[in-house]
Amino acid sequence: MKRLLWGVVFLLVVLSLPETASAHGYIVRAIPENRAVLERPPTRLQYWFSEALEPDFSSINLRNQSGEIIATGGISDTDNTLMTVRVPNDLPEGAYIVELRPAFASDGHVVAESRVFFVGEEVGGVAGQSASGQAVPLEVFWRVLVYTATLTLFGAFAGYGLIFVPAWGNKAFRAGLLPPRVMNRLNWIVGLALILVFLGNGLALIQQTMTFFGIGFTQALNQDFWSVVRIGSRFGDVWNFRMGFLLVVAAMFGASLYFRASQPETVRAFWVANTWMMALVIGTFSVLSHAAGSLTLPWLGIGIDWLHALAVGLWAGGLVVMVWVLPVALRPYDTEQRRQALLAVLRQFSRWAAACVFIVIATGLYSASNWIYSADDAATGFGLSLFVKILLVIVLVALGAVHHIALRPAQYARFSTLIKRLDGFLPTLRLEAIAVLAVLVAVGWLSATPVPVPDFAETEVETPGEIQTAFGYNVVMTISPGGPGVNTYDVNLSRDNVALDDLDIRLTMVNPSQDWRSPVHQLEAVDSGLYVTAADDIDQLGRWWTLMDVTGDDGDTTRFAFEWNISNEASVIQSRDLTLTNVIPLVLVVLALGWALYPAARWLYLRLDLSPLIVLVVFGATVITVLLIIVGGDMVSSTRERYDERLNPAPEIVNAVLPSQASLARGETLYAEYCIEWQSYSQDFRALRQRLDRIRDEELYSAIVDGWRTLPPCAERLTSFERWDLVNYIRTLQEFDS
Amino acid sequence: MFNLLAHGGLGGWDEFIFVGVAVIFIIMMAISWVRSRNIEPEFDDERRPNMQDDDPASDHFKLN
Repeated sequence: MKRLLWGVVFLLVVLSLPETASAHGYIVRAIPENRAVLERPPTRLQYWFSEALEPDFSSINLRNQSGEIIATGGISDTDNTLMTVRVPNDLPEGAYIVELRPAFASDGHVVAESRVFFVGEEVGGVAGQSASGQAVPLEVFWRVLVYTATLTLFGAFAGYGLIFVPAWGNKAFRAGLLPPRVMNRLNWIVGLALILVFLGNGLALIQQTMTFFGIGFTQALNQDFWSVVRIGSRFGDVWNFRMGFLLVVAAMFGASLYFRASQPETVRAFWVANTWMMALVIGTFSVLSHAAGSLTLPWLGIGIDWLHALAVGLWAGGLVVMVWVLPVALRPYDTEQRRQALLAVLRQFSRWAAACVFIVIATGLYSASNWIYSADDAATGFGLSLFVKILLVIVLVALGAVHHIALRPAQYARFSTLIKRLDGFLPTLRLEAIAVLAVLVAVGWLSATPVPVPDFAETEVETPGEIQTAFGYNVVMTISPGGPGVNTYDVNLSRDNVALDDLDIRLTMVNPSQDWRSPVHQLEAVDSGLYVTAADDIDQLGRWWTLMDVTGDDGDTTRFAFEWNISNEASVIQSRDLTLTNVIPLVLVVLALGWALYPAARWLYLRLDLSPLIVLVVFGATVITVLLIIVGGDMVSSTRERYDERLNPAPEIVNAVLPSQASLARGETLYAEYCIEWQSYSQDFRALRQRLDRIRDEELYSAIVDGWRTLPPCAERLTSFERWDLVNYIRTLQEFDS
Repeated sequence: MFNLLAHGGLGGWDEFIFVGVAVIFIIMMAISWVRSRNIEPEFDDERRPNMQDDDPASDHFKLN
């Protein structure tokens, strides 16, 4: 009956363990927004995700109202969080469906969702489909298998070194310091777990292959498919490392069996060493966990997720192994000796379990704080399951505290009544196991619940765009996403509704308040009048100009100038700073770690030579090192600021006139009237024209007001605006060295 | 910088941290193997010679 009970407990623990089975990333910015009604067709569709995507296994299709695929796209070459598709020109009015199939690099999950936009008027009865929150059954199965086996292996190796040997060690048994019956049971557990972990990882690769290629199980068994996933995706890279680590674990375990007769003292060495290797195996899950896709310090998220899994492994995995080993270990003993043996192992386990519980709580809270951004998020299914989990953890901690007290009657004499009521440990141990089970079920529920999409990802943001019509050209320009950073510049050019190809288009970005201009970008002609380029020149908020020079077959150049107000709202949010809701659980994590490591720190402290001279030297060296780091960091920072300031100082006078075609025309007239005599100073005038790309606007302004070299002042009688028109025009006289 | 992990989806420093952590753990594994091979553990009752195996306050029970 007892075995059956423990078997059921174990099975339920196992079934509750799969994590992040169906949670995944989400869209943080969409152009166009879902159900947007557009006056004119977009030139391209862009969807930024909260995590990096697998380029080879992600797809995006655009369908028209009839369901025909009219365009396909993929992952951007420059940004692996961006899915983009070029929209054919002259899209007729109607409804359009965008099918997205992103494959998230962090956890290998592939989701299918669709979005809708309308050109002209909204059409009823057409709707997109949000991403499914359902887990793939085979994925749930392999995750159960792999997590169970991995945590059991870690619990076995760590439990051996930290719990069983300290509690039951007997030097009479050279091979492993434990009786052969106990070692045999541990060997049996590890052997079984190793078979399951390799089986589970094999299934993981097959299931990932099925997901990436959209094929069936039998087809995925073909090496042509799964080998592509193994060598061609982030999942495969980490899978390879994990299998390598597991092979080392299996080899060391095999060595412990092989040498147990000839070199019995190596058995303990192999088992203890395997604890470190299993910690690395658990780390490979954290690398592919959702923490890797966190917007807030992903490295910290991965580290804390790893710590969380290690603590769960020692606590839950150790408990599972202990439950399996106890009947065999206690078999030869009568009632009182059984109790003594049980107390010894429980005391050792209790120390680690208590530390692990605190670490699990603190790290769990931190991980949750990565997904709960506001009170609205707490009111979601995710928030509810988190709340239930916290309640259950409180119950578990209370039970653990009772055991902790009961195991130390001398220390907690004032609770003697409570201790007597326990009547041995078995009933409350079972209760604790059930509480562990309940908490782990809550963990499973929580991790299987999709994370709430934060408010900022659902905010609709208008993409900067403008239409200009001049000199027969019809120009449509958009900057997406339109914030500081890498932007895509799309230009659609037509004349009398006829797309114009084979034109030479050059683009310059200007920050007038900094008197800074970018290198000239030549736009790439795609087709049907679309010209594109991507650049990261716009790197700060505020007023920016984009100056576009269009040169036709006749050699004439026409200027189109656009003015933008670059705001943070248009940026794609790819990272977030720590907030108070992150910092509080982070402090708890540090406290929990400090508490767990206190005995080791104290052990170290007691062995230190704390003579005043040594303390003084160490303290002084530490203070000096910290000061040097702070001063060095400050020097680097201030030097960089001074360098930037010297390289591009803020102008004393700012160009107030957009260099449009009209401004250039006015400037040309003013030049002909006031500055034409500069042409008679051919040497210096030529020198000025040759270095126009290196001269700032304020220097040109100064040149026309105060003169430059032998060139005389020519704009003394002009107004400020007229001078800027003149500056804008002179800049077009750029002469390149032949 | 060559790519070991994440198929080039990580930066050079990310790769360095990944590999660095793995190397540290492998070194720790080797050290713990050597220590466990050569140093026998001390049990509580050995540190306190007057303690008996059936002492109710003992954290160690010599399993036979």
